[in-house]
Amino acid sequence: MISSIRLKPLTWHPYIAPVELSEATSEQLDAMKVTPSAKKVSEYVRTLVHDPESYVARTVLFNAIMYVDGGLARPDRELGALGASLVNGCTFCAVTHARRHAELTKSNDLVTALYCDRPDTLGARDTAIYRFARRLSGTPSQATEDDIASLRSVGMDDVEIIDLIHAISIFGWANRLMHVLGHADSGK
Amino acid sequence: MIDAMDKIAGLSPDDVVFKARRFRPEFVEGAEMCRLSVLTPAAGLGLEAALRIALAQRIAALNGDQILIADYGTQLSALEPAVQLLALAQGATDLDEPLAAIARHVDMVTLTPSKAAASDISRLTEAGLNNPQIVALSELIAFVNFQTRVATGLRLMRSA
Repeated sequence: MISSIRLKPLTWHPYIAPVELSEATSEQLDAMKVTPSAKKVSEYVRTLVHDPESYVARTVLFNAIMYVDGGLARPDRELGALGASLVNGCTFCAVTHARRHAELTKSNDLVTALYCDRPDTLGARDTAIYRFARRLSGTPSQATEDDIASLRSVGMDDVEIIDLIHAISIFGWANRLMHVLGHADSGK
Repeated sequence: MIDAMDKIAGLSPDDVVFKARRFRPEFVEGAEMCRLSVLTPAAGLGLEAALRIALAQRIAALNGDQILIADYGTQLSALEPAVQLLALAQGATDLDEPLAAIARHVDMVTLTPSKAAASDISRLTEAGLNNPQIVALSELIAFVNFQTRVATGLRLMRSA
């Protein structure tokens, strides 16, 4: 029996200077949806808003993929995000989405299994999702038609599989921002 | 109507996967808005369209995505790119600065993002990139890595 792992949240720090609110353009302020009087906007947001166009487009898409109603269950999207983040080595995203999976399922079992390198102890559905997430995250992708067949065999329909593809792929994006533009630690 | 993602995924309106994809108009429209924001933004921040498309072709090649390589190759040809940008698109490493530094960064972030470090960002700064350009480059690299995975997944669904 593996003892349960509960991950502590990490704090992200950028390698480049974030945009200061006092120096932000009107387009940047609009992208951040803040007024100059606002005090607290995360360093992550202020770093990415150096390019306000891509910041807005990506944020809208990211929120749809992770939070839109219906289709793939939220914990399954988090598992896709976690699988991608582990392959891509983004500690910050992995911990963030592992914690969210644990909150949504009210269980640390899956996170414990993955952080103890025991994916063999996962159930059939989690195994199919996690395996596909890892294989699609390779460069080049290692995913095959067999992976799709595995997802269908555990009862996933086309809409759910499309949701999963997007959850995994958007972390092929997010990981390449968070782990490249900054680093994470357990400090404040 | 067929969009850029359908095109590279090989989906036509009578495909089951094409229809299933439309269950999520947020994803369809969102991915297209993202594509425009990194490839042909209103404000280029000093990174010209031909450079962006050349880099996208290079990233498609690192991902072994033949359809995406051809798609970006066609887009690049239409812009009549300089010799250096053509070489960049085709994976060359013996390039002038700042293209050499950019190419090195693109390859590392695409192939081994886990190895990224603070020194990699310093190299871009030393090559003359400013902070908005570093962020715009990061978003472009990350987008193409997203795009090829969505297309790969949709192609597998269609053939499975």
